[in-house]
Amino acid sequence: MAGGEGALVPVPSENGGSVAVYPLHHGLNPPIARLAISWSRGNSLRVSVFRPPSEDQVGGKVVEVKLSNGDQEITDAQWRRIEYGSVSPFAMLQSRRSSFSSLLKVSKSPSPYHLDWWEYVIEYSKDISSLLGGRKLSPNPIIEEPKAIFKKGEEPTCLKAAWELMEIFYADKQSQAWLPERLVDWLADYDSLFSSTQRTIHSKLVDFQKDLVNIQVIEDDPRYWEVLSSALAVGWLDIVVKVLRLHGSYQLDQLSNREIENGLVEAVAVLISKMPRLRPESAVGKLGECFKSKPEFSKAWEKWRAQITKLDCSAFWIQCDNHQTREGLKGMLQIMLGNIDSIHMATCHWIELYVSHFLYIRPFTMGIESMYNLVLKCIQMKPVSNTHRLTGLLIAILEENTEVVLAECSKEYGPWMVAHAVELLSAGSEQAEILLYDERDNLGGISIGELYRLIYAQVLSSHSLTWQIAPIYLTSCMKQGMGLLEILLYRQSVRHNESLLKNIELCRLYGLNHISSNIMKVAGVYDWKHGRKGSGVYWLQQADDANRLHRIAQQLFDSVGKSISDESFKQWEGVIELLGSDSKSAGGLEFLHKYRDFKRFLQQVTSGKSTEAARQAVDSLILLMKNPSTPQRFWLPLLYDSLKLFNWQDCPLLNVSETNLLLNKLQELSLARLRPDFKESSLPPEALGCVRLALATNLGRAILDE
Amino acid sequence: MAVTALSDGPEIQRLPQYKYVDAVRWLPPLSPFDRFAVLASFDSDSDASSIEIHSYKPNPASLEPHSSWVSPSRVSSLKTLQFLQKTVIAASTYAGSLHFLFSNSTDASLESEVSVPENELHRGSISSIDLMDGGVECVSVAGDGRVNLVTVGNSNLSYRRVFDSSGLVSYTTAKWASPVEFATGGYGFSLHWWDQRKPGGPVSQFKGNWDQKMTAGIVHSIDIHPSRKHTCLAGGSLGTLFAWDLRWQQQPIILSRGGTAAGNNEVPLVSESEVWEVQYDRSTKSNMSSTRLLPAMICSEDGILAIIEQGEEPQELLAEPCSINCFDIDRHNPSDVICGLEWEAVAILTKQ
Repeated sequence: MAGGEGALVPVPSENGGSVAVYPLHHGLNPPIARLAISWSRGNSLRVSVFRPPSEDQVGGKVVEVKLSNGDQEITDAQWRRIEYGSVSPFAMLQSRRSSFSSLLKVSKSPSPYHLDWWEYVIEYSKDISSLLGGRKLSPNPIIEEPKAIFKKGEEPTCLKAAWELMEIFYADKQSQAWLPERLVDWLADYDSLFSSTQRTIHSKLVDFQKDLVNIQVIEDDPRYWEVLSSALAVGWLDIVVKVLRLHGSYQLDQLSNREIENGLVEAVAVLISKMPRLRPESAVGKLGECFKSKPEFSKAWEKWRAQITKLDCSAFWIQCDNHQTREGLKGMLQIMLGNIDSIHMATCHWIELYVSHFLYIRPFTMGIESMYNLVLKCIQMKPVSNTHRLTGLLIAILEENTEVVLAECSKEYGPWMVAHAVELLSAGSEQAEILLYDERDNLGGISIGELYRLIYAQVLSSHSLTWQIAPIYLTSCMKQGMGLLEILLYRQSVRHNESLLKNIELCRLYGLNHISSNIMKVAGVYDWKHGRKGSGVYWLQQADDANRLHRIAQQLFDSVGKSISDESFKQWEGVIELLGSDSKSAGGLEFLHKYRDFKRFLQQVTSGKSTEAARQAVDSLILLMKNPSTPQRFWLPLLYDSLKLFNWQDCPLLNVSETNLLLNKLQELSLARLRPDFKESSLPPEALGCVRLALATNLGRAILDE
Repeated sequence: MAVTALSDGPEIQRLPQYKYVDAVRWLPPLSPFDRFAVLASFDSDSDASSIEIHSYKPNPASLEPHSSWVSPSRVSSLKTLQFLQKTVIAASTYAGSLHFLFSNSTDASLESEVSVPENELHRGSISSIDLMDGGVECVSVAGDGRVNLVTVGNSNLSYRRVFDSSGLVSYTTAKWASPVEFATGGYGFSLHWWDQRKPGGPVSQFKGNWDQKMTAGIVHSIDIHPSRKHTCLAGGSLGTLFAWDLRWQQQPIILSRGGTAAGNNEVPLVSESEVWEVQYDRSTKSNMSSTRLLPAMICSEDGILAIIEQGEEPQELLAEPCSINCFDIDRHNPSDVICGLEWEAVAILTKQ
């Protein structure tokens, strides 16, 4: 919009660098008089462009501008799937929290039988994590490709990587003793994510795999040894052993004359597959030997290192005449012996260097603080120009700064992430819990945790497909949640029956009867205005809105007055059925009910000549005339319709007092005609006279009878 | 009353669509091996509605997009029918238009389309349509109180208005009972019975003696079994499922209801909220005594898909955390059920 001749908003040139300018095609000829910008559905902006009023041109145009969600990794539709999926785990955790805290109140000391809180949190975390991407790897193919280094699987996402990182450090208390090993596994799953900004071991391997088919003698290629060292440095033992066994000396025709060389290759492969690891257990089929306790591990570690040293000094090396193989294997041994230079050479990103420190240089690292110091050292050794969104989070976690972790989550992964990660963070430590759940005056008395939940709920509320799940989050916010929920429910459109009913259902679930009755009133008036009179009446009845029912009754009478002919009365049957027999809920419309009865009897009178039906018709007429809800302007049409009854041949149908009642009404009507606001009915002018005459005749006959 | 789960439960596949599912139907099968489902979907990102034919593969159930047609507005009602070697898909929209798509019976590709533009049949959105079995005649009803019959020829169509209540009665659903009779449902749990041989209005109106609280309801869906044409099965608000027997007009047979009746042990409570769709369950074997109602399947706003049979414990087939907005039982393979879920997904159940 800015820039050029038709610029609407001047952009100061000194700001030019930080302001992104996007042209917007509104197709209007300048000059533009006014501009209005408002939020539309979801991430759309509605820009209304107005021209000054003129006769020959369009006055304005409305353009919707879709803003991207800023995340290239996950599309809007995928985000929604994550949002839907996280509802159940979140709701489950909230309900467990409330039962858990009430349990704690009952028994001051935690009972030995119930689970620790973090076990619920880890269950929640696993549920959420499974939403963020399927299995990392597809099941093994039946015939394994001999030259495939990586198994094909789903592309990992930063979101899932970040979530797992938080799970490792905050939720999974069992992994606390094996944090370094958890990080090794984590990097094995997500190293490819770092390839977007710079070269990584993963990208090295991928490149090498592409060329693998074209390489004749694999061990003569220096990249082969490079790739082996790199993969070894970050502990991808399975890959290393697999690639190592692609070595030419394994080929049957070469085995005999390369016996010693092959022996050395195999010795290294065996050593690698026997590497001791300080962890409970590896995934099935993973190489390495696992030790749970530190003393056992340290014994195995010493032994393994001794074996490497022994191999390193072995005399066989001299007998191995393949220079490439010899140097390559020796290089790998150096990595296993923890030679910092070799490791530095073999790794690309500092995070890879960091992980290999745990594997080969400081296998006994414990505690977050020493892990943090190590991170600083590795960044220093392999500095990067820009921070990756994952390393930012990792550093914040190691720094043990909850506020920075929250800020990173919010900045890089958006409101969904923060709202859900708060549960992990607060399980991490008591300090974090206090930080997150303490009410703050500067936030209007709500806690940080609630604030982030509210923000997320607002995001959900702004989309037509996700607003229905916002209440789950709003109701978990003690202070402001209910207020915002009421606003959300009020704001929904009543245009379509389905969404209206879904809205009312939410009101019912959360016990907001006053809201649903207001929504029903709005829906009733909306339907009424759009000609759906039946449903309008229904909703107003549901809302017990006697006032509006009375008002629309007046309007209905107007059309009843016109459609008094028997043909069209069939249309009214439905509405009268709907009103039911209970007069209270019908409001002013009760009249219709009695009118229908009257009309029905009158019809019987016309078709046959039954005196019985005529009597019933008279009874209905008297009831109608006595009833205060019968509008005055209906009196004359009613009486005019009843002329036949007053002039009944066989006998007078009305007694003296009934006739007097009707005459009085007629008198009242004559007086009312003098008032200026009186509405004349569409009856012939002589109608009043006819009725009066008929009634007078009837009165005479009735007096004679009595 | 407790709801019993099936001992060997159905196989369930939930398939995310990344689009809102407005309606689902099975297509009448072309051959035992090629099976198709029709989805009316709404893509909120592009604001586009479409009718998509997906080919269905069992074990595990999966849907492959096959062909699709862009609808001018969101679909409010969707029906399918096989007629004279042609597969007909009828769809009504929120904008008020009605569309008939004809698909090739050999490969289910869409061949032609005829439609009635908006504001011709109804003012505003069409609530419901139904196709007559064995003839392409379609009844359409809406909140504006009109009842129309649309007759579809090879490339043209004609329609006539059966009734116009001028909005005094709003209709929410319609279902054919025979080539000349159909039933409609609406507000206040009302049901009307229409007979084309007796024009001018409904020939029969049902308004049972519900207690005051029970009038609070809307009929959302009706089913009529070809072998029991005198019984009209209706589902609606407050978890209500009832049957109206034309021969015994004043009292409905209540099969399920929630709300205030929850304490009543005689009527099972399956759901507390809107019953969006009801169909006779063609797969459950039941004693076919003519005095008892046939078993029925319902789906509801509170995420329940269940089989309800008179005098039996209800069987819950699915309990989702979100609404089940629609479902369809495959007439030719009645153990397969497709459901449209609120959270942009479909679920396919295969009963054991």
